[in-house]
Amino acid sequence: MDGDVYEGANLGKDDAVLKTSGLEKAFGGLVATDDVSFEVERGTITGMIGPNGAGKSTLFNLVSGFYENDAGRVMVNGEDVTDLEPYERARKGLVRTFQTPRRLEGMSVREAMLVGPGPQAGESIFSLFFSADEVTREERANIKQARELLERFEIAHLIDQPSTELSGGQLKLVELARAFTTNPDILLLDEPVAGVNPTLANDIKRFIRELNEEGQTFLIIEHDMPFIMDLADPIIVLDQGKVLMEGTPEEVQTDERVIEAYLGGAGP
Amino acid sequence: MSVTSWVNETVVRDPTERRIFTILGIVTALLVVGVLTGVIGIRFLLFQVSLVGMYALLSLGLNVQWGYAGLINFSVAAFWGLGAYSAALLTAPNSPLGLDLHPAFGFLAAIVVSALVAILIGIPTLRLREDYLAIASLGLAEVIRVIILNERQWTAGSSGISGIPSLLEWLPLTSAATTASVVVVLGIVVFLFLRRVHRSPWGRVLRTIRSDEDLAKALGKNTYQFKMQAFVVGSVIMGIAGAFYAHLNLYIDPSDLVPLTTFYIWIAVILGGTGSNRGAVVGAAVVIAIREGTRFLNDVPAINTLGLDLAPLRLLFVGILIILIMRFRQDGLLPPKDELIWPAAKDKTTAAGGGGSGGPNAQAEGGDD
Repeated sequence: MDGDVYEGANLGKDDAVLKTSGLEKAFGGLVATDDVSFEVERGTITGMIGPNGAGKSTLFNLVSGFYENDAGRVMVNGEDVTDLEPYERARKGLVRTFQTPRRLEGMSVREAMLVGPGPQAGESIFSLFFSADEVTREERANIKQARELLERFEIAHLIDQPSTELSGGQLKLVELARAFTTNPDILLLDEPVAGVNPTLANDIKRFIRELNEEGQTFLIIEHDMPFIMDLADPIIVLDQGKVLMEGTPEEVQTDERVIEAYLGGAGP
Repeated sequence: MSVTSWVNETVVRDPTERRIFTILGIVTALLVVGVLTGVIGIRFLLFQVSLVGMYALLSLGLNVQWGYAGLINFSVAAFWGLGAYSAALLTAPNSPLGLDLHPAFGFLAAIVVSALVAILIGIPTLRLREDYLAIASLGLAEVIRVIILNERQWTAGSSGISGIPSLLEWLPLTSAATTASVVVVLGIVVFLFLRRVHRSPWGRVLRTIRSDEDLAKALGKNTYQFKMQAFVVGSVIMGIAGAFYAHLNLYIDPSDLVPLTTFYIWIAVILGGTGSNRGAVVGAAVVIAIREGTRFLNDVPAINTLGLDLAPLRLLFVGILIILIMRFRQDGLLPPKDELIWPAAKDKTTAAGGGGSGGPNAQAEGGDD
């Protein structure tokens, strides 16, 4: 493919929550992320697709700070977070979930939910002894919020379950709910319906849409094409570590280059 | 089925736990009877109580690190030794420092020194993968022992420090009874402190780090700081146990800092139930019971006539016990059972919402998607 095939993403959006410019990452000789610039407009569900090995997960890890980038910048709400640790980026409002659901050993769903909310008074040993009332108040509010969210996501009946006993799909829902309790400006979901049964996948789609209607911004990696085409707009297409194009689901589905990238690039 | 047991606040959760507590009760009763009938010397028993108390402190300390946060610390003996030497050097009249201070300063120094060393070893290792702390702490234990052995002008080297004063000599009790009381009080204070900090958002973050540190980071938790806190708290408790030992044994030398102590404490924590404070205490008692109890096996007539020397086989018994536990009770004798939720906040909210009203109805109305 020629270099000019890579049209790149749509830059210059009015109100970008997340912005990357010239992100690069190489593992030895393999360039996994090659000069990636894109923006996520506030209030959108932005999709990110690409064939296997296109560098989607690497890009997520770069954006969330789990990998260190070789070059480029990451901005959240106009603030440069490139040099910040993952936990600091999370506090700036950029929160991610993981592709393989993380099972918290020895924790109930309620406990797992309560880890979400941002710096809690009770996370300081000092407060546990000297401002116990505040800890109690906050903890009550967080328990209430956790219950309400689980009810909203229709999994309130699981609240006492050990989180190791959930199905993959239920775990994805708990993850989504917990990520939401951090009150993020942008939620990065890494394959939210991978390995989830179709009914639950539909539920997840509906909840994401609901949260979005309330103003939550999403950036979603997904392999399930019908799912992402139905949910996201715009969609960014990655191929071989670069941004191939960005467009509406219709544009992406009918784009020659995208089809070629997925079908394995037989060449012109 | 797990709903009621999960929220259960009582001490005894299942029949096995009840059996364990029954056995502990019977053993305690037998010991008391033994003392009353003169079979067991009261001084000896009180010394054993002090040992159990000290081991319980060490296990509680390691439980904070390994049980709460998943930190692998192989230098339990080193932090214990630092505490013991801090106390001994400051309080013994014939220590090389010759300060002859009140034991309170010894305990204070033990806390400060163990905290400082924990921070120093934590800074380079806690940002890395968990195995690095394991390796570094393994080395630290030897480094500290060798430093104490060789820096004679400060530590008296291999001749050790004797003449360490007893604690609270003004109390109208025998010194054995005083030391035993001191460690029981220390144990209770530490236990209550840990109970409070564990069942809280703080303990919850540590538990999250233990199962998935990346997840904790992704949720905005400064995992390095939390791990450091757990490491320092655990090490300080070990240091306190060491300071107590100095005043129990009244003599300390570098050979006390051998790695064997570290592994006894690991066994105690695993045996008792990783992550459980009650388990750490019971595990410590079991380890001491085996360690000290096997001394007398040769005196049992039946064994005596066999002509076997069983006492040196105590490590074998510990090993067999571990295998049995792993086979029949994998999570340890008293595994953790509490949800790590601030107890004061729990009662109201969780009791109120027991029904889980959301489920089926909400499912039905959402079916049109």
